Amino acid sequence: MNNPLFLLYGVLLLGATGYLEYTGKSFDRINQQRVLPKSIRDNPGAYRSTYGGYSRYIGGK
Amino acid sequence: MSTTLVSQSLVKAKSLSCPNCGTPIELRGFAHTLSAVCPSCLSILDASNPELQILQTYQGKERIEPKIPLGSRGTFNGTVYELIGFEQRSVQTPDDYFSWDEYLLFNPYKGFRYISEYCGHWNVIRVQSRVPYPTTARGRRGWVLDARKFAAFDAMQAATSYVIGEFPWQVRLGETAACEDFIAPPYMLSSETTAGETTWSLGEYWEGSKIWQAFRLPGKPPSPQGIFANQVSPYAGKTGAAWRMWLWFNVALFTLMTIFNLTKANKEVFHDEYSYAYFKNHDTSFVTPAFQLDGVNKNVEVRFHADIRNDWIYLSMALINDETGQTFDFAREVSYYVDSDGSEGSRDNRVVIPSVPAGRYYLRIEPEMVTGALSTRYEISVRRDVPIYSYFWIAAALLLIPPIVTWFRSNQFEARRWRESDYRPVDSPVMKIAGGIIESLGDD
Repeated sequence: MNNPLFLLYGVLLLGATGYLEYTGKSFDRINQQRVLPKSIRDNPGAYRSTYGGYSRYIGGK
Repeated sequence: MSTTLVSQSLVKAKSLSCPNCGTPIELRGFAHTLSAVCPSCLSILDASNPELQILQTYQGKERIEPKIPLGSRGTFNGTVYELIGFEQRSVQTPDDYFSWDEYLLFNPYKGFRYISEYCGHWNVIRVQSRVPYPTTARGRRGWVLDARKFAAFDAMQAATSYVIGEFPWQVRLGETAACEDFIAPPYMLSSETTAGETTWSLGEYWEGSKIWQAFRLPGKPPSPQGIFANQVSPYAGKTGAAWRMWLWFNVALFTLMTIFNLTKANKEVFHDEYSYAYFKNHDTSFVTPAFQLDGVNKNVEVRFHADIRNDWIYLSMALINDETGQTFDFAREVSYYVDSDGSEGSRDNRVVIPSVPAGRYYLRIEPEMVTGALSTRYEISVRRDVPIYSYFWIAAALLLIPPIVTWFRSNQFEARRWRESDYRPVDSPVMKIAGGIIESLGDD
Protein backbone atom coordinates (compact mmCIF):
# COMPACT_ATOMS: atom_id res chain seq x y z
CA MET A 1 0.00 0.00 0.00
CA ASN A 2 1.91 3.04 -1.22
CA ASN A 3 -0.58 5.65 -0.08
CA PRO A 4 -1.27 5.14 3.63
CA LEU A 5 -2.69 8.65 4.03
CA PHE A 6 -5.33 8.01 1.38
CA LEU A 7 -6.08 4.67 3.03
CA LEU A 8 -6.59 6.36 6.39
CA TYR A 9 -8.62 9.18 4.80
CA GLY A 10 -10.86 6.70 2.95
CA VAL A 11 -11.40 4.50 6.00
CA LEU A 12 -12.29 7.53 8.15
CA LEU A 13 -14.61 8.83 5.44
CA LEU A 14 -16.38 5.50 5.13
CA GLY A 15 -16.55 5.22 8.91
CA ALA A 16 -18.06 8.71 9.20
CA THR A 17 -20.57 7.95 6.43
CA GLY A 18 -21.58 4.72 8.14
CA TYR A 19 -21.89 6.47 11.51
CA LEU A 20 -24.02 9.31 10.11
CA GLU A 21 -26.23 6.86 8.24
CA TYR A 22 -26.57 4.48 11.21
CA THR A 23 -27.46 7.22 13.68
CA GLY A 24 -29.76 8.91 11.16
CA LYS A 25 -28.02 12.27 11.59
CA SER A 26 -29.27 15.08 9.45
CA PHE A 27 -27.96 18.52 8.56
CA ASP A 28 -31.51 19.84 8.16
CA ARG A 29 -32.44 22.88 10.23
CA ILE A 30 -34.47 21.52 13.13
CA ASN A 31 -35.26 23.30 16.40
CA GLN A 32 -35.92 21.00 19.33
CA GLN A 33 -38.09 22.10 22.25
CA ARG A 34 -38.32 19.92 25.31
CA VAL A 35 -41.55 20.89 27.01
CA LEU A 36 -44.75 21.84 25.29
CA PRO A 37 -48.12 21.95 27.04
CA LYS A 38 -50.63 19.28 26.00
CA SER A 39 -53.14 22.01 25.37
CA ILE A 40 -51.46 22.62 21.99
CA ARG A 41 -53.24 19.53 20.67
CA ASP A 42 -56.58 21.21 21.36
CA ASN A 43 -55.47 24.72 20.50
CA PRO A 44 -52.80 24.59 17.76
CA GLY A 45 -53.02 28.34 17.15
CA ALA A 46 -51.49 28.96 20.59
CA TYR A 47 -48.18 27.54 19.44
CA ARG A 48 -45.61 29.99 18.09
CA SER A 49 -43.28 28.29 15.65
CA THR A 50 -39.59 29.18 15.67
CA TYR A 51 -39.83 29.45 11.90
CA GLY A 52 -43.03 31.47 11.85
CA GLY A 53 -41.17 34.60 10.77
CA TYR A 54 -38.87 32.72 8.40
CA SER A 55 -38.14 34.89 5.37
CA ARG A 56 -39.56 32.94 2.45
CA TYR A 57 -39.11 33.25 -1.25
CA ILE A 58 -41.84 35.35 -2.79
CA GLY A 59 -40.30 36.01 -6.15
CA GLY A 60 -40.56 33.71 -9.11
CA LYS A 61 -39.97 33.71 -12.78
CA MET B 1 53.56 17.04 -4.40
CA SER B 2 49.86 16.99 -4.09
CA THR B 3 47.14 19.59 -4.03
CA THR B 4 43.92 19.79 -2.08
CA LEU B 5 42.22 18.54 -5.25
CA VAL B 6 43.88 15.16 -4.98
CA SER B 7 43.44 12.72 -2.12
CA GLN B 8 45.87 9.97 -1.31
CA SER B 9 45.92 7.24 -3.93
CA LEU B 10 44.92 3.75 -2.86
CA VAL B 11 45.98 2.11 -6.11
CA LYS B 12 49.57 1.44 -6.99
CA ALA B 13 50.31 4.21 -9.46
CA LYS B 14 52.86 4.88 -12.16
CA SER B 15 54.91 8.03 -11.28
CA LEU B 16 56.11 10.58 -13.85
CA SER B 17 56.99 14.26 -13.79
CA CYS B 18 55.31 17.21 -15.47
CA PRO B 19 57.63 18.53 -18.22
CA ASN B 20 56.21 22.03 -17.63
CA CYS B 21 56.63 22.46 -13.86
CA GLY B 22 58.32 19.27 -12.70
CA THR B 23 55.50 18.21 -10.41
CA PRO B 24 55.35 14.42 -9.97
CA ILE B 25 52.29 12.91 -11.60
CA GLU B 26 50.80 9.57 -10.63
CA LEU B 27 48.90 7.65 -13.26
CA ARG B 28 46.29 5.25 -11.90
CA GLY B 29 44.69 4.29 -15.20
CA PHE B 30 47.68 2.24 -16.30
CA ALA B 31 47.90 1.77 -20.07
CA HIS B 32 44.37 3.11 -20.48
CA THR B 33 45.46 6.66 -19.69
CA LEU B 34 46.06 8.65 -22.87
CA SER B 35 46.17 12.12 -21.31
CA ALA B 36 46.83 13.46 -17.84
CA VAL B 37 46.57 16.86 -16.24
CA CYS B 38 49.32 18.19 -14.00
CA PRO B 39 47.70 18.89 -10.63
CA SER B 40 49.99 21.88 -10.13
CA CYS B 41 50.09 23.84 -13.41
CA LEU B 42 47.04 22.13 -14.99
CA SER B 43 48.95 21.45 -18.25
CA ILE B 44 47.40 18.67 -20.27
CA LEU B 45 50.01 16.02 -21.02
CA ASP B 46 50.19 13.20 -23.52
CA ALA B 47 50.40 10.09 -21.33
CA SER B 48 50.62 7.64 -24.21
CA ASN B 49 54.41 7.81 -24.05
CA PRO B 50 56.82 8.18 -21.08
CA GLU B 51 58.04 11.63 -22.20
CA LEU B 52 54.69 13.19 -21.24
CA GLN B 53 54.61 15.78 -23.99
CA ILE B 54 52.61 18.91 -23.28
CA LEU B 55 49.42 18.90 -25.33
CA GLN B 56 47.92 22.07 -23.92
CA THR B 57 48.74 24.52 -21.17
CA TYR B 58 46.07 25.93 -18.94
CA GLN B 59 45.52 29.65 -19.49
CA GLY B 60 42.66 30.15 -17.07
CA LYS B 61 43.05 31.56 -13.59
CA GLU B 62 40.22 29.74 -11.86
CA ARG B 63 40.83 26.40 -10.23
CA ILE B 64 37.75 24.29 -9.70
CA GLU B 65 37.63 21.94 -6.77
CA PRO B 66 35.69 18.76 -7.54
CA LYS B 67 32.97 17.94 -5.01
CA ILE B 68 34.47 14.43 -4.79
CA PRO B 69 38.29 14.54 -4.43
CA LEU B 70 40.42 12.77 -7.04
CA GLY B 71 41.66 9.45 -5.74
CA SER B 72 38.45 8.78 -3.80
CA ARG B 73 37.23 5.22 -3.96
CA GLY B 74 33.57 4.40 -4.31
CA THR B 75 31.62 1.15 -4.46
CA PHE B 76 29.11 0.75 -7.25
CA ASN B 77 27.18 -2.49 -7.62
CA GLY B 78 29.75 -4.22 -5.43
CA THR B 79 32.74 -3.04 -7.46
CA VAL B 80 35.26 -0.55 -6.11
CA TYR B 81 36.21 2.25 -8.50
CA GLU B 82 38.76 4.99 -8.07
CA LEU B 83 38.09 8.52 -9.16
CA ILE B 84 40.90 9.40 -11.55
CA GLY B 85 39.60 12.32 -13.62
CA PHE B 86 37.33 15.32 -13.43
CA GLU B 87 36.11 17.60 -16.16
CA GLN B 88 33.66 20.43 -16.33
CA ARG B 89 31.65 20.80 -19.50
CA SER B 90 29.69 23.84 -20.48
CA VAL B 91 27.13 25.01 -22.99
CA GLN B 92 27.16 28.56 -24.25
CA THR B 93 24.29 29.91 -26.29
CA PRO B 94 23.37 33.54 -27.06
CA ASP B 95 20.71 33.31 -24.32
CA ASP B 96 22.15 30.92 -21.82
CA TYR B 97 25.24 29.48 -20.18
CA PHE B 98 25.35 26.44 -17.98
CA SER B 99 27.84 23.78 -17.00
CA TRP B 100 27.98 20.41 -15.33
CA ASP B 101 30.67 18.24 -13.80
CA GLU B 102 31.80 14.81 -14.93
CA TYR B 103 33.86 12.43 -12.83
CA LEU B 104 35.81 9.56 -14.35
CA LEU B 105 36.01 6.34 -12.31
CA PHE B 106 38.34 3.43 -13.01
CA ASN B 107 38.61 -0.17 -11.93
CA PRO B 108 41.49 -2.21 -13.45
CA TYR B 109 39.16 -5.17 -14.08
CA LYS B 110 35.83 -3.52 -14.84
CA GLY B 111 37.06 -0.48 -16.78
CA PHE B 112 35.55 2.99 -16.64
CA ARG B 113 32.41 4.52 -15.21
CA TYR B 114 31.36 8.14 -15.17
CA ILE B 115 29.43 10.24 -12.73
CA SER B 116 27.82 13.49 -13.79
CA GLU B 117 26.51 16.21 -11.51
CA TYR B 118 24.33 19.18 -12.30
CA CYS B 119 22.81 21.39 -9.59
CA GLY B 120 22.90 18.56 -7.05
CA HIS B 121 21.51 15.93 -9.45
CA TRP B 122 23.76 12.91 -9.99
CA ASN B 123 23.95 10.24 -12.68
CA VAL B 124 26.09 7.11 -12.73
CA ILE B 125 26.98 6.47 -16.36
CA ARG B 126 28.28 3.58 -18.41
CA VAL B 127 29.46 3.86 -22.00
CA GLN B 128 27.47 1.46 -24.16
CA SER B 129 28.97 -0.88 -26.70
CA ARG B 130 25.45 -1.65 -27.92
CA VAL B 131 23.69 0.67 -30.30
CA PRO B 132 20.05 1.47 -29.55
CA TYR B 133 17.49 1.31 -32.32
CA PRO B 134 15.35 4.25 -33.32
CA THR B 135 11.69 4.61 -32.40
CA THR B 136 9.08 7.25 -31.60
CA ALA B 137 8.49 8.21 -27.97
CA ARG B 138 6.06 10.85 -26.68
CA GLY B 139 5.32 11.72 -30.31
CA ARG B 140 8.90 12.53 -31.21
CA ARG B 141 12.24 10.94 -31.94
CA GLY B 142 13.41 8.33 -29.48
CA TRP B 143 15.50 5.21 -29.04
CA VAL B 144 15.02 1.76 -27.57
CA LEU B 145 17.66 0.14 -25.38
CA ASP B 146 17.13 -2.82 -23.05
CA ALA B 147 13.41 -2.78 -23.98
CA ARG B 148 13.16 0.76 -22.59
CA LYS B 149 11.86 3.54 -24.77
CA PHE B 150 13.81 6.78 -24.42
CA ALA B 151 12.20 10.08 -25.45
CA ALA B 152 14.20 12.99 -26.84
CA PHE B 153 14.80 15.59 -24.15
CA ASP B 154 17.42 18.05 -25.31
CA ALA B 155 20.37 18.58 -27.65
CA MET B 156 23.35 20.85 -27.20
CA GLN B 157 26.89 21.61 -28.25
CA ALA B 158 28.99 20.98 -25.12
CA ALA B 159 32.56 22.18 -24.64
CA THR B 160 35.17 20.92 -22.20
CA SER B 161 35.93 23.90 -19.99
CA TYR B 162 38.06 22.44 -17.19
CA VAL B 163 39.96 19.19 -16.63
CA ILE B 164 42.06 17.60 -13.94
CA GLY B 165 43.30 14.05 -13.41
CA GLU B 166 43.75 11.55 -16.21
CA PHE B 167 41.63 10.37 -19.09
CA PRO B 168 41.50 7.45 -21.52
CA TRP B 169 41.29 9.85 -24.45
CA GLN B 170 43.25 12.87 -25.67
CA VAL B 171 41.38 15.49 -23.70
CA ARG B 172 41.53 19.16 -24.79
CA LEU B 173 40.07 22.30 -23.28
CA GLY B 174 37.54 23.88 -25.64
CA GLU B 175 36.91 20.57 -27.37
CA THR B 176 33.26 20.38 -28.39
CA ALA B 177 30.84 17.54 -28.95
CA ALA B 178 27.26 17.40 -30.15
CA CYS B 179 25.30 15.89 -27.28
CA GLU B 180 21.73 14.62 -27.22
CA ASP B 181 19.84 13.29 -24.23
CA PHE B 182 16.92 10.87 -24.27
CA ILE B 183 15.11 9.97 -21.10
CA ALA B 184 13.20 7.11 -19.52
CA PRO B 185 13.45 7.99 -15.80
CA PRO B 186 15.50 6.99 -13.89
CA TYR B 187 17.61 6.34 -17.00
CA MET B 188 19.10 8.72 -19.50
CA LEU B 189 20.51 7.64 -22.83
CA SER B 190 23.03 10.13 -24.20
CA SER B 191 24.77 10.34 -27.51
CA GLU B 192 27.98 12.27 -28.02
CA THR B 193 29.19 12.92 -31.52
CA THR B 194 32.67 14.15 -32.40
CA ALA B 195 34.22 14.06 -35.86
CA GLY B 196 31.60 11.67 -37.19
CA GLU B 197 31.95 9.23 -34.31
CA THR B 198 29.00 8.71 -31.98
CA THR B 199 29.31 7.29 -28.49
CA TRP B 200 26.26 6.11 -26.56
CA SER B 201 26.14 6.10 -22.79
CA LEU B 202 23.47 5.10 -20.31
CA GLY B 203 23.08 7.08 -17.11
CA GLU B 204 21.08 6.18 -14.04
CA TYR B 205 19.82 8.87 -11.66
CA TRP B 206 21.25 8.60 -8.16
CA GLU B 207 20.38 10.63 -5.11
CA GLY B 208 23.32 12.67 -3.85
CA SER B 209 23.15 10.86 -0.51
CA LYS B 210 23.74 7.52 -2.30
CA ILE B 211 26.81 8.95 -4.07
CA TRP B 212 28.11 10.24 -0.72
CA GLN B 213 27.46 6.82 0.79
CA ALA B 214 29.22 5.03 -2.08
CA PHE B 215 32.34 7.17 -1.57
CA ARG B 216 31.96 7.33 2.24
CA LEU B 217 32.29 11.09 1.98
CA PRO B 218 31.90 13.24 5.08
CA GLY B 219 29.09 15.79 5.34
CA LYS B 220 26.11 16.09 3.06
CA PRO B 221 25.86 16.37 -0.73
CA PRO B 222 24.70 19.66 -2.23
CA SER B 223 20.91 19.98 -2.21
CA PRO B 224 19.38 19.36 -5.65
CA GLN B 225 17.94 22.43 -7.35
CA GLY B 226 14.92 22.11 -9.63
CA ILE B 227 13.93 18.90 -11.36
CA PHE B 228 16.42 16.99 -13.48
CA ALA B 229 15.68 15.34 -16.81
CA ASN B 230 15.70 11.73 -15.61
CA GLN B 231 14.87 12.37 -11.96
CA VAL B 232 12.31 9.87 -10.73
CA SER B 233 8.98 11.50 -10.07
CA PRO B 234 7.93 11.08 -6.42
CA TYR B 235 4.45 10.49 -7.87
CA ALA B 236 5.54 7.73 -10.29
CA GLY B 237 2.98 4.93 -10.04
CA LYS B 238 1.07 6.76 -7.33
CA THR B 239 -1.60 8.21 -9.61
CA GLY B 240 -2.64 4.77 -10.85
CA ALA B 241 -2.48 3.37 -7.31
CA ALA B 242 -4.62 6.25 -6.02
CA TRP B 243 -7.27 5.64 -8.70
CA ARG B 244 -7.25 1.92 -7.93
CA MET B 245 -7.74 2.68 -4.23
CA TRP B 246 -10.50 5.14 -5.14
CA LEU B 247 -12.21 2.35 -7.05
CA TRP B 248 -12.03 -0.02 -4.06
CA PHE B 249 -13.37 2.64 -1.70
CA ASN B 250 -16.26 3.23 -4.06
CA VAL B 251 -17.02 -0.48 -4.08
CA ALA B 252 -16.98 -0.40 -0.26
CA LEU B 253 -19.16 2.72 -0.24
CA PHE B 254 -21.67 1.17 -2.62
CA THR B 255 -21.74 -1.99 -0.48
CA LEU B 256 -22.33 0.13 2.63
CA MET B 257 -25.13 2.00 0.88
CA THR B 258 -26.75 -1.28 -0.21
CA ILE B 259 -26.55 -2.69 3.33
CA PHE B 260 -28.19 0.39 4.84
CA ASN B 261 -30.78 0.47 2.09
CA LEU B 262 -31.71 -3.13 2.88
CA THR B 263 -31.65 -2.83 6.65
CA LYS B 264 -33.36 0.55 7.13
CA ALA B 265 -37.07 0.20 7.98
CA ASN B 266 -38.04 3.11 5.68
CA LYS B 267 -41.65 2.71 6.81
CA GLU B 268 -44.47 5.17 6.08
CA VAL B 269 -46.25 5.91 9.35
CA PHE B 270 -48.47 8.77 8.25
CA HIS B 271 -49.88 10.15 5.00
CA ASP B 272 -52.69 12.64 4.40
CA GLU B 273 -53.94 15.29 2.00
CA TYR B 274 -55.00 18.81 2.89
CA SER B 275 -56.11 21.94 1.11
CA TYR B 276 -55.36 25.56 1.85
CA ALA B 277 -57.48 28.59 1.08
CA TYR B 278 -56.77 32.16 2.13
CA PHE B 279 -59.14 33.77 4.59
CA LYS B 280 -58.26 37.11 6.11
CA ASN B 281 -57.35 36.93 9.84
CA HIS B 282 -58.04 33.20 9.85
CA ASP B 283 -55.83 30.86 11.92
CA THR B 284 -54.62 28.23 9.47
CA SER B 285 -52.84 25.98 11.99
CA PHE B 286 -54.13 22.49 12.75
CA VAL B 287 -52.88 19.17 14.09
CA THR B 288 -52.86 15.72 12.51
CA PRO B 289 -54.00 12.48 14.12
CA ALA B 290 -51.31 10.79 16.24
CA PHE B 291 -49.11 8.08 14.75
CA GLN B 292 -46.64 5.64 16.25
CA LEU B 293 -42.86 5.90 15.76
CA ASP B 294 -41.03 2.66 16.59
CA GLY B 295 -37.32 1.96 16.98
CA VAL B 296 -34.73 3.65 19.17
CA ASN B 297 -33.72 7.17 18.14
CA LYS B 298 -34.18 6.60 14.41
CA ASN B 299 -34.65 9.45 12.00
CA VAL B 300 -37.98 10.69 10.64
CA GLU B 301 -38.54 12.04 7.16
CA VAL B 302 -41.42 14.45 6.50
CA ARG B 303 -42.24 14.86 2.80
CA PHE B 304 -44.37 17.59 1.24
CA HIS B 305 -46.02 17.75 -2.14
CA ALA B 306 -48.16 20.69 -3.26
CA ASP B 307 -50.19 21.06 -6.47
CA ILE B 308 -48.93 24.54 -7.21
CA ARG B 309 -47.88 26.37 -10.36
CA ASN B 310 -46.17 29.76 -10.33
CA ASP B 311 -46.87 29.90 -6.63
CA TRP B 312 -45.46 28.97 -3.25
CA ILE B 313 -46.69 27.50 0.00
CA TYR B 314 -44.80 27.83 3.27
CA LEU B 315 -45.32 25.17 5.95
CA SER B 316 -44.33 25.84 9.56
CA MET B 317 -44.46 22.47 11.26
CA ALA B 318 -43.79 20.78 14.58
CA LEU B 319 -43.47 17.08 15.30
CA ILE B 320 -44.79 16.78 18.85
CA ASN B 321 -44.60 13.79 21.20
CA ASP B 322 -48.13 13.28 22.43
CA GLU B 323 -46.94 11.89 25.77
CA THR B 324 -43.87 13.96 26.72
CA GLY B 325 -44.49 17.18 24.83
CA GLN B 326 -41.02 16.96 23.19
CA THR B 327 -41.20 19.02 20.03
CA PHE B 328 -39.16 19.13 16.80
CA ASP B 329 -39.87 22.43 15.12
CA PHE B 330 -39.12 23.00 11.42
CA ALA B 331 -40.42 24.67 8.28
CA ARG B 332 -40.17 24.19 4.55
CA GLU B 333 -41.26 26.07 1.49
CA VAL B 334 -42.56 24.45 -1.65
CA SER B 335 -42.36 26.75 -4.66
CA TYR B 336 -42.68 26.02 -8.33
CA TYR B 337 -42.51 28.46 -11.24
CA VAL B 338 -42.72 27.69 -14.91
CA ASP B 339 -42.76 29.68 -18.15
CA SER B 340 -41.56 29.35 -21.72
CA ASP B 341 -37.92 29.50 -20.56
CA GLY B 342 -38.34 26.47 -18.32
CA SER B 343 -39.13 25.74 -14.73
CA GLU B 344 -37.68 26.69 -11.36
CA GLY B 345 -38.17 25.09 -7.97
CA SER B 346 -40.13 21.93 -7.25
CA ARG B 347 -43.56 20.84 -6.10
CA ASP B 348 -41.83 18.56 -3.55
CA ASN B 349 -39.67 19.15 -0.50
CA ARG B 350 -38.56 17.14 2.48
CA VAL B 351 -36.97 17.37 5.86
CA VAL B 352 -35.18 14.68 7.87
CA ILE B 353 -35.36 14.94 11.65
CA PRO B 354 -32.50 13.01 13.31
CA SER B 355 -32.69 10.83 16.41
CA VAL B 356 -36.37 10.92 17.24
CA PRO B 357 -37.21 8.74 20.28
CA ALA B 358 -39.95 6.14 19.91
CA GLY B 359 -43.46 7.14 20.94
CA ARG B 360 -46.78 8.54 19.72
CA TYR B 361 -46.45 11.76 17.78
CA TYR B 362 -48.61 14.20 15.88
CA LEU B 363 -47.82 17.07 13.55
CA ARG B 364 -48.83 20.65 14.10
CA ILE B 365 -49.04 22.32 10.65
CA GLU B 366 -49.37 25.99 9.86
CA PRO B 367 -49.56 26.59 6.09
CA GLU B 368 -49.10 30.01 4.57
CA MET B 369 -49.54 31.29 1.02
CA VAL B 370 -49.70 34.60 -0.76
CA THR B 371 -52.61 36.87 0.17
CA GLY B 372 -55.72 35.90 -1.76
CA ALA B 373 -54.43 32.47 -2.77
CA LEU B 374 -57.03 30.06 -4.12
CA SER B 375 -57.62 26.65 -2.65
CA THR B 376 -54.47 24.57 -2.99
CA ARG B 377 -54.14 20.87 -2.36
CA TYR B 378 -51.03 19.53 -0.62
CA GLU B 379 -49.90 16.19 0.80
CA ILE B 380 -47.79 15.35 3.83
CA SER B 381 -46.24 11.99 4.52
CA VAL B 382 -44.05 10.78 7.40
CA ARG B 383 -41.55 7.93 7.12
CA ARG B 384 -39.53 6.33 9.91
CA ASP B 385 -35.86 5.24 9.61
CA VAL B 386 -35.04 6.37 6.08
CA PRO B 387 -31.67 6.01 4.35
CA ILE B 388 -29.97 9.34 3.53
CA TYR B 389 -28.24 8.90 0.17
CA SER B 390 -26.71 12.38 0.21
CA TYR B 391 -24.03 11.15 2.65
CA PHE B 392 -22.90 8.59 0.10
CA TRP B 393 -22.76 11.12 -2.73
CA ILE B 394 -20.81 13.53 -0.51
CA ALA B 395 -18.43 10.70 0.51
CA ALA B 396 -18.02 9.67 -3.14
CA ALA B 397 -17.17 13.28 -4.05
CA LEU B 398 -14.71 13.60 -1.13
CA LEU B 399 -13.05 10.32 -2.17
CA LEU B 400 -12.17 11.95 -5.48
CA ILE B 401 -9.91 14.51 -3.80
CA PRO B 402 -6.77 12.34 -3.16
CA PRO B 403 -6.49 10.82 -6.66
CA ILE B 404 -7.18 14.18 -8.32
CA VAL B 405 -4.58 15.91 -6.13
CA THR B 406 -2.06 13.12 -6.84
CA TRP B 407 -2.76 13.31 -10.57
CA PHE B 408 -2.43 17.10 -10.53
CA ARG B 409 0.86 17.01 -8.61
CA SER B 410 2.25 14.32 -10.90
CA ASN B 411 1.34 16.43 -13.93
CA GLN B 412 2.91 19.49 -12.34
CA PHE B 413 6.12 17.54 -11.70
CA GLU B 414 6.27 16.32 -15.31
CA ALA B 415 5.49 19.82 -16.60
CA ARG B 416 8.41 21.20 -14.56
CA ARG B 417 10.67 18.42 -15.89
CA TRP B 418 9.80 19.08 -19.53
CA ARG B 419 9.95 22.86 -19.09
CA GLU B 420 13.76 22.37 -18.93
CA SER B 421 13.82 20.44 -22.21
CA ASP B 422 13.86 21.43 -25.85
CA TYR B 423 10.24 20.26 -25.91
CA ARG B 424 8.73 22.48 -23.25
CA PRO B 425 4.98 22.07 -23.04
CA VAL B 426 2.83 24.83 -24.45
CA ASP B 427 0.69 26.52 -21.80
CA SER B 428 -3.05 26.01 -22.25
CA PRO B 429 -5.13 29.05 -23.33
CA VAL B 430 -6.61 29.19 -19.83
CA MET B 431 -3.14 29.32 -18.30
CA LYS B 432 -2.13 32.02 -20.80
CA ILE B 433 -5.17 34.12 -19.85
CA ALA B 434 -4.49 33.55 -16.15
CA GLY B 435 -0.84 34.49 -16.69
CA GLY B 436 -1.90 37.63 -18.60
CA ILE B 437 -4.24 38.71 -15.80
CA ILE B 438 -1.55 38.17 -13.18
CA GLU B 439 0.93 40.13 -15.33
CA SER B 440 -1.48 43.06 -15.80
CA LEU B 441 -2.17 43.14 -12.06
CA GLY B 442 1.56 43.25 -11.51
CA ASP B 443 1.86 46.23 -13.90
CA ASP B 444 -0.69 48.19 -11.87
